Amino acid sequence: MISNDNEKDLQQPQIVSIDDDYSIIRQFIDGDKSSFQILVKRHKEKVRNIIYITMNSSALVDDIAQDVFITVYKNLKYFRFESQFTTWLYRITVNRCKDYLRKMNVRRIFSPIEDGTEISEYSTPVEDNDISRIVMDAISKLPVKLRMPLILKDIEGFSYQEISESLNCEMGTVKSRIFRGREKLKEILQPLEKELMN
Amino acid sequence: MKKDLRNMELLSAYLDDELPQSEKIEVEKLLASSLDLQKQLEDLKKVKQLGNRVKRIPESPFFETRLMATIEGQKNESSKIKKWIPAASLAVVTIIIMVVLKFNPGLIDRMWEDQKVAIEGFYKENLQPVLVAANLSNEDIFNFAFNNELPLDNTRQQYLLLGYDDSGKEFFEIRNSDQKIKRQSYTEFITAMNLDAEQKEIVDSIIGSYSKALEGQVLVNEKNTIAINQNLWNFRKAIFADLLVASEKLNKAKFDRIVPAGITDDEKVVVVNTLEKLKNVSGDQYIFVTPDSIFADSYQFDSEDFEKEMRIIEEQVRINEEKVKEFTLNITYDSNFKKFAEENSSHSFKIVVDSNICRVDLPEHHILEVPIPEIAAIDPLIEQATNNIHFYAYKIPKIEKSESGIKIEYYNDDSVYSYVVDYNMLNMDSLSEANSGLDLYNLEKLKTVKPFDDSMLIQYQFDRDYYHKYYSDDEFKKEMEELQKELQQMSEELKNHKIRVKTQVTKSPKK
Repeated sequence: MISNDNEKDLQQPQIVSIDDDYSIIRQFIDGDKSSFQILVKRHKEKVRNIIYITMNSSALVDDIAQDVFITVYKNLKYFRFESQFTTWLYRITVNRCKDYLRKMNVRRIFSPIEDGTEISEYSTPVEDNDISRIVMDAISKLPVKLRMPLILKDIEGFSYQEISESLNCEMGTVKSRIFRGREKLKEILQPLEKELMN
Repeated sequence: MKKDLRNMELLSAYLDDELPQSEKIEVEKLLASSLDLQKQLEDLKKVKQLGNRVKRIPESPFFETRLMATIEGQKNESSKIKKWIPAASLAVVTIIIMVVLKFNPGLIDRMWEDQKVAIEGFYKENLQPVLVAANLSNEDIFNFAFNNELPLDNTRQQYLLLGYDDSGKEFFEIRNSDQKIKRQSYTEFITAMNLDAEQKEIVDSIIGSYSKALEGQVLVNEKNTIAINQNLWNFRKAIFADLLVASEKLNKAKFDRIVPAGITDDEKVVVVNTLEKLKNVSGDQYIFVTPDSIFADSYQFDSEDFEKEMRIIEEQVRINEEKVKEFTLNITYDSNFKKFAEENSSHSFKIVVDSNICRVDLPEHHILEVPIPEIAAIDPLIEQATNNIHFYAYKIPKIEKSESGIKIEYYNDDSVYSYVVDYNMLNMDSLSEANSGLDLYNLEKLKTVKPFDDSMLIQYQFDRDYYHKYYSDDEFKKEMEELQKELQQMSEELKNHKIRVKTQVTKSPKK
């Protein structure tokens, strides 16, 4: 069971007003390219974190994040101010992650299977305290369609509405997938239930 | 089961505080009545809280710096690529063209030929014989034979001039004339040959026989195309030769002055054969002068069809009682257009245009394509006759009175012989006696000889009243012989130093 103190320690999503993002984007469109740096500074950590947890690796985080922001830079002049900038940003982030995961899966098919800790279940009790790593590993075993809403909800604290827009799917689907993701995660972590959930 | 699943989803959403008020109340009612659901909610809460246990990735303070550097790098790369886009495009196009030409080597030629055929077809449409409209008279046809000129309209504002340059190559000119050309070469010829009315009729019929054949030789259309049959040069020679042969028959004495050597029987056979062929071979090779190009190509002008059409038109005109208005052809050409070929090029047409002349020089040996080899055989005959007509005309001396004396000048071949007789030393009595009709003190009445620039016959314009009052042609000849004797006498006297005569001989360009 997670203590209240620990909860307080966790970094909360930075609250940024829509107007702030909009005004910066307008500056950028008006030719002030340096304003883009402000947007990056404001949103980069959340983007990096989504990537980090989705990919379950820090190795590719900056590459993918850079890819995301370059895409934003190239397309920002077409931004229509009809939705939040973050919704658009996270949709790009999610899609980039999916792209990378797809590529990795393809590579895995064509590469020899190593003696595999990677595919082994958590059959033995985890002795280290790195609960974070265990949870991340467990999340990484979820199918992508369950993994993404779960990360956005339980780790990043998005509302269902935000998740629906970021993943471009219905609210009912989001609700269902979050529940199923939790159920699946619980199932994966069943062997470590005592250590993790008490 | 389905209901349980729905309840579990609701429970999960309840945990996230994402349910509408009604469902929230519903879930709370269920929770209140079900320990199992309460347990489920508790489990879900534990799983959800696991998310809070996940550590965030450490911040990357240099991320945006690296990102901006990458973006700048890509921009530079992009601009570098953009810089090479024109060259790369050109290279690609070149390669494509090379590949296409490699496998279709005749492609450009075919395209060129197609284009050429299309252009030629465009300009060849609806060509009509302009000389019909020009309503050629015998005088016009005679002028054509002797002076190389053909009027192109019945107002005589534009005419076609055929010629040969110094190297003997053919050229033609389309000239605008501000004034009507009033040549009387035919009349002069009849007079010079001393032909009576009956003989003139014979010559008329000879000239008239070419009138119809000439009709299809020059064609025009509304696209400002003028097509000139390459046979036209030969036609001119034919008319000329025909008239020579006729002249010999009609007045041998006069003819001998034009062609002293006469025409041999063999030459006559050649002339007759050539004339027969020329009359029967219309020739389908035309030179097309268009507003943007000149080309030689075959073209079939059907004179019978044209005559039929003309008859229909004439009938319509008659029925509608419309008056046929005076026809004026206005061939225009671009005066900005200078030349498109090297002067020395022997394979191209050379065109020179100024404000009122359009001259086209034909490529070397172009006319030889007309299949009448005998024409070359009568060339020397025609040349000799041409020169002698010119020579004959120039033998009439020019007499000028000046303060110091009388200047007598006559041409022989390419030289001008000039005699100046000093008044002080002149035996006036003998001259007056020899030339009783000549008023030596009013010599200004005699107009100077003014040869026409483009004429083979030199037209001399004495004061006509004076001339006709005192001289017939034979009398004039007699007078000239008398004058010659006088001059010989003066020459003798000169030798004896009785009078002083300055003589000079100057070379002048051959007219």
